[in-house]
Amino acid sequence: MKSDPFEQQLRRQPLRDVPPEWRETILSAARQAAESPRPPRPTSNVSAWRLLFSTLNSQLSTLLWPAPRAWGGLAAVWLAIAGMNLATRDTAARISGSDPLPSHQLLLSLKEQERLLAELIGPHEAPPETKSKPAAPGPRSQSAPQTGSV
Amino acid sequence: MAVPVNLERLYDEHSQALYGLLMNFTRNESDTRDLLQELFVKLAQRPSLLEGVRDERAFLLRLAHNLAIDLFRRRGTREEKHEQWVNETAALFAATSEPDERTFRESLSAALGELPAEQRAVVHLKLWEDLTFEQIAELLDLPLNTAASRYRYGLDKLRQRLRPLYDEINEI
Repeated sequence: MKSDPFEQQLRRQPLRDVPPEWRETILSAARQAAESPRPPRPTSNVSAWRLLFSTLNSQLSTLLWPAPRAWGGLAAVWLAIAGMNLATRDTAARISGSDPLPSHQLLLSLKEQERLLAELIGPHEAPPETKSKPAAPGPRSQSAPQTGSV
Repeated sequence: MAVPVNLERLYDEHSQALYGLLMNFTRNESDTRDLLQELFVKLAQRPSLLEGVRDERAFLLRLAHNLAIDLFRRRGTREEKHEQWVNETAALFAATSEPDERTFRESLSAALGELPAEQRAVVHLKLWEDLTFEQIAELLDLPLNTAASRYRYGLDKLRQRLRPLYDEINEI
């Protein structure tokens, strides 16, 4: 890709030189670190858990870094929804479980409605008798002969 | 057993490039020195890091970039805005006695500071390390198109910001 004059102008701007006194400081620190033994790997369970949480934390922060506020907001909304869900479930349980017996007034009202219904549909009649089952056929010897013998 | 790393050679060959990238990120000499030291300490402690590395410069730039991003995140949790950190005053470009050049470099430094970190990294690697988009994409672990588009967006912002000054200087 060919660069335009503006790009070329930017490229021509020289960056500052690294301060020369840093060389010795940095290299001696690096040499010192190489000579000193590295910290031992954690062996106890607590240290291992700490390391695990630290790694998890690091990975999560890497994952969530681009929009930490958005993720935080999402978590807050999620928590609010979960809270509301819990609150409404409690209320429903309270409503269903708090007053299991119908009130006296309600019973009276039901009886009144039953009486009105009885008046409207007339006296209570017994349901028509169900059709009796046909008698089971008796033995063949008792049955009347239908055809004459030859 | 890992071969010991020749730290002196690595420093002499690559410290200038690492310094430039880190300064562009931190705008702070003290932070840049700390990060550069951290990088060399890491190499000294773990020589195996460089085993099988084909392009030393690219690998070290990647390491420096990651260290700068880590510092950026740590700072980000403590500070309200990254801009507070970026708007440090340390000069990014070499000093010059020519007034127009000085003004342009100061403006360029400020304009680079306003770019998002991901665009700044790509712009820096493209303009001052002369890397290809393929190399930048590999170094920053990005898709090729993303590297190219970040460069384009970053350059457009710089152009927009510096165009009047650039035209003025080049008219003369």
